[in-house]
Amino acid sequence: MIIDILAGAVRGGTSIMYAGLGETVSERAGVVNLGTEGAMLVGALGGYAVTAGTGDPWIGVLGGALAGALLSLVHAVLVVSRGANQFASGLTLYFLALGVTALFGAGFVSRQINAFATVPVPVLSEIPGVGPVLFDHDPLVYVAYVAAPLVWWVLYRTRVGLLVRTAGERPQALQVHGYSVTAVRYGATVVGGALAGVAGSHLSIAYTNSWFENMVAGRGFIAVALVIFAMWNPLRIMAGAYLFGAALSLASVLQTAGVAVNQFALNLVPFVLTLAVLAVLGRRTLQAAPDELLRVFDSSRAA
Amino acid sequence: MSQGTRAGTQPVTQDAPAGVDPPPGPTSWPSRARSATAWLPGAARWAGALLAGLVVFSAFVAANGADPLAVLADIWTSTLTQPGQFQQIVLRAAPIALAGLAVVVPARAGLVNVGGEGQIVVGGIAAAGAAMWLTPFSSVGGVLAGMVVAAALAGAAWAGIAAALRLVVQVNEAVTTLLLNYVALYSMLFLILGPWKDPAALGQSTSVELVDSVKLPVFSGTSIHVGVVLAVVAAAAVWFALTRTSWGFRLTVVGGNAEAARRAGLPVVRLLLTALLIGGALAGLAGFLQLAGMEYKLRPTFGLTIGYVAFLASWLARHKPLPLLLTSFVLAAIAVSGNSLQIGSGLPAASVNILMGLLLVTVLGWTSARKERA
Repeated sequence: MIIDILAGAVRGGTSIMYAGLGETVSERAGVVNLGTEGAMLVGALGGYAVTAGTGDPWIGVLGGALAGALLSLVHAVLVVSRGANQFASGLTLYFLALGVTALFGAGFVSRQINAFATVPVPVLSEIPGVGPVLFDHDPLVYVAYVAAPLVWWVLYRTRVGLLVRTAGERPQALQVHGYSVTAVRYGATVVGGALAGVAGSHLSIAYTNSWFENMVAGRGFIAVALVIFAMWNPLRIMAGAYLFGAALSLASVLQTAGVAVNQFALNLVPFVLTLAVLAVLGRRTLQAAPDELLRVFDSSRAA
Repeated sequence: MSQGTRAGTQPVTQDAPAGVDPPPGPTSWPSRARSATAWLPGAARWAGALLAGLVVFSAFVAANGADPLAVLADIWTSTLTQPGQFQQIVLRAAPIALAGLAVVVPARAGLVNVGGEGQIVVGGIAAAGAAMWLTPFSSVGGVLAGMVVAAALAGAAWAGIAAALRLVVQVNEAVTTLLLNYVALYSMLFLILGPWKDPAALGQSTSVELVDSVKLPVFSGTSIHVGVVLAVVAAAAVWFALTRTSWGFRLTVVGGNAEAARRAGLPVVRLLLTALLIGGALAGLAGFLQLAGMEYKLRPTFGLTIGYVAFLASWLARHKPLPLLLTSFVLAAIAVSGNSLQIGSGLPAASVNILMGLLLVTVLGWTSARKERA
């Protein structure tokens, strides 16, 4: 059963990881996107609809990423160009995504699709213990193994990453060197939204293999919180996402095992866990926050 | 309200222009755009925002294969010309206005309370619990008073968790209140599918319905319950407290510049804390209204999306208590129209969330939101 929980952690944590990585990119540039939840919703529906239309889940993932990127583009316009409140804009977009996905998703509710299948990695999946936990999943889970280190590498070892981080720490420095802060923040927000779209696609075309209204159920908000206590570090996001994946998968694993526990009490676990971790680590992690973000987060820091 | 999800939202303080802070370069086009529209009277810009929202909404509807003009006409006639619909809208607007005040008060201090959804739910749970336990011992008046107090305290306590996290470990309250919404929702589901389940409920699990004597009475000849008055009184009280008392003034100072407020000797922590607690209490009262005036029992969709809609209403009203009554009414009308939309056009009721969302997108972006400081 421990193996079931760990395998469930990896599967269930994958979507949170993609969303957390996306939010990290955008927050590193100084833009908080509470619309991540909404981007995951449109990504879930976009991925599902494109998969249903083309029959190919890989194209579906692209569709999901595109949907998430488009929604986040609206966030970028409002926040970067129009100076709107980041929290209000993000939540408005979440609400908008709820409506849009309800309207367009109605026709997909009980539709069957050709979803991602589980692809055991040859040889590796045979290893007792490690095999079923790490190497017996759908392809998006494997891509996620690479995605977190890749995002880390881009942020810390490339010029693009430097520009993104500077936009979040010292935007003046970007301007002095002739770069456009606006362009960098647009790029980071849209890329972050695309990753959230992939996260949503993983939910609909690899994890649950279905679409239903509001299926993301708070995972996007957990991802936003995860970014805080992962200290804006993609590698810590990976570890944190699997921790929450474990909390999420607890319910289904226990039920399958026939343990009689109220399902809704178990659904509480990931949210309570998130709040508890924030309470313990909150103050310490803020020191790692990009400067621009602190101004957004806490205008009354003087308190 | 219809479906969707819950979360509440609240405004934050300094919103800002995270993007536009660098030294005012020659390219800061927001200011250019603002001056280009500065000559437009406010009303015209609002009309433009509304129109833009309607146009985009129509495009979405058309993309989904429905005739947008027919849908809009349907919304119009079913919502505004049917007898009784006006009363429905007022009934819906009351909890939205109360939960909107729960956004307004913290916003004045620069805090974003997105936890209306959860605060409404715990308010409803507390009111239902109080009704259950007090009914055997107490008069009707005592039970109602107990429900009101319990709902307000529960909402305040719920917001208090976020306030404590904000003030002690400096975790942003927008994030924590959002997470608390889910904790409240699943706690309620746990109760109504477990210990509080009505054994007589058919189909959907619910809690036991309130006894008739503690359901809020309605004004004779209407379906409007007396709790609606509570929302109006609360809005007036918040208006008075914010604009006519030194407490309201101090709160505004903290929201404007907390550092300056601290140096001026204001008790910043206490002001922030009371703002969030009062906000939570108001949202808890909205939960009481929803329970005792509208739904009479807890069900899985209890109070659904009221908190989010209230957040939008507060932002539409620029966090001013009296205009909030108007924006709550408008959003309630849109929500009511969602139900008739479902019946008339077969579109999901949540489709009208698009209209609400677009309305706020245009207002946030194009009606001088930049000048707004909570």
